[in-house]
Amino acid sequence: MENLSYLFVAYSIIFAAIVLYVMFLWRRQARLDTRLRGLEIQLNEMRDELAQDRSKAMTTATRSAS
Amino acid sequence: MSALTAILRKDLRLELRTGESTIALVFLSLLILTVLTFALNAPGGDTATAAGALWVAMIFAGTIGATRALIGEWENGCIRGLLLSPADRAAIYCAKLVASFVFMVLAEVAATMLMVLFFNLDFRIRLLRLGPVLAMGALGFAALATLLAAIQVRVRAGDLLLPLLIVPVFVPALIAGVKASNAALAGLPFAAFSQSLKILAACDILFLAGGYLLFEHVITED
Amino acid sequence: MGTKAAYRLGVATLGVMTAAIFMVFVYVPTEAQEGIVQRIFYFHVPCAWVAFAAFALVAISGVFYLWFGQQVWDDLGYAAAEVGMVFCTLVLITGSVWAKPIWGAWWTWDSRLTTTLVLWLLYAGYLALRAMADEVPQVGRLAAVVGIVAAADVPVIIVSVRLWRTIHPAVIVTRQGSHGLEDPRMIATLLVSMAAFTVLGTWLLMLRFATLRTTARIINVGRQLALMEAEMVDMGAQARGS
Repeated sequence: MENLSYLFVAYSIIFAAIVLYVMFLWRRQARLDTRLRGLEIQLNEMRDELAQDRSKAMTTATRSAS
Repeated sequence: MSALTAILRKDLRLELRTGESTIALVFLSLLILTVLTFALNAPGGDTATAAGALWVAMIFAGTIGATRALIGEWENGCIRGLLLSPADRAAIYCAKLVASFVFMVLAEVAATMLMVLFFNLDFRIRLLRLGPVLAMGALGFAALATLLAAIQVRVRAGDLLLPLLIVPVFVPALIAGVKASNAALAGLPFAAFSQSLKILAACDILFLAGGYLLFEHVITED
Repeated sequence: MGTKAAYRLGVATLGVMTAAIFMVFVYVPTEAQEGIVQRIFYFHVPCAWVAFAAFALVAISGVFYLWFGQQVWDDLGYAAAEVGMVFCTLVLITGSVWAKPIWGAWWTWDSRLTTTLVLWLLYAGYLALRAMADEVPQVGRLAAVVGIVAAADVPVIIVSVRLWRTIHPAVIVTRQGSHGLEDPRMIATLLVSMAAFTVLGTWLLMLRFATLRTTARIINVGRQLALMEAEMVDMGAQARGS
């Protein structure tokens, strides 16, 4: 079969390109997801802290008022 | 309409005072044509190569010079004043477009004369048929350049990026323009290259419409 | 949306692709004139279809972004441009690999391949703009404008390249329209390949789009964090004051 090598090269390039691109996207998504999760945890912690601070401020205010 | 004429008159008057943009563009065209003469080594009287060289000069000189009307506003900090004025964004676009067009036409006149000289074309050649072709090309290019000029200012390496954006979009005008210019230089009547003219006209309409409608989205302060 | 849809679409892609590969290498007969190399055609054409369709999507997203202003449209446009670029590059490479054994030259100025080259340059410009302008707040609008003008330009490019080709007949002659698909099995194979690449393209688009949406959410959460920090500092200052 003449020119089989050309056929093989063409299809190899197509598959290599697709596989590489999918891998690239997958790893990028994984990195972004970890970062997002980290930030969301930080956000929740800060929300709790803020809630505590707010209640503290409220009790101080009511104490000084009375 | 009054905003358009006001801005246009300001730009033309500025240019009339110093003439630096025009002179720079003319010298740039001279330089490009000289380089092309050496590089292409075409036989004398070859209209095809001459037409091609002329359009190359137009594109590369245009890439550098066509945006000067608008860039100046940013460089001098005038863009805020322009945007705060009651002028319609489309009017600003048209004014800057016409200014760019005028600069490019002046450069092209010089380039054409140099082309006839360098490529040993007959001076009695029918340049009148070439005129409209070059004008249409310059109009389309000026329309694109004015629309995308904002990129040159606000993006890093913008002056490298701008030709990368303009030239591929301009390709159909380039193809049609060179074909029409070649035919015009060879002395053929308009009918012979009417298809090229139609494509050039389509490009102009497309670029002008695009610029007119989309300019307001790209022009902001920065 | 999310990972479940992406997973399902990924599985679908694998399925249709497998079918397509089977048809290309086992089912379809070898073409008489060009021989075995002609099978490249069954993936070359769908790549071109995806490249052009993605470009149209870039422009449409651009229009919606300029009209509605929602970040979703900007992200969709960017994702479409990147995916389109991948397939556009594949068209050029497979076209080149196909041309060499058939016509002895790596590159032919065939009007379709030339148009694809110009499309590739348009994509390159768009992506370069995105890459270099990432800190410019208005990058989405600039990119949208570029995408719209470029896409509107494509029909004119096609016509003008055909015109240009009439001046260069000395270079290799264009292949004729349907590429001589006489056998119905060939048409079936082509259709299945087109479907396979459409699904693949959509899946890649979804994946890329997801990364951009995640980035948008990261920015959003970051902003919320900054606001909260500011509030805490503010309250701390108030407490000290009283």
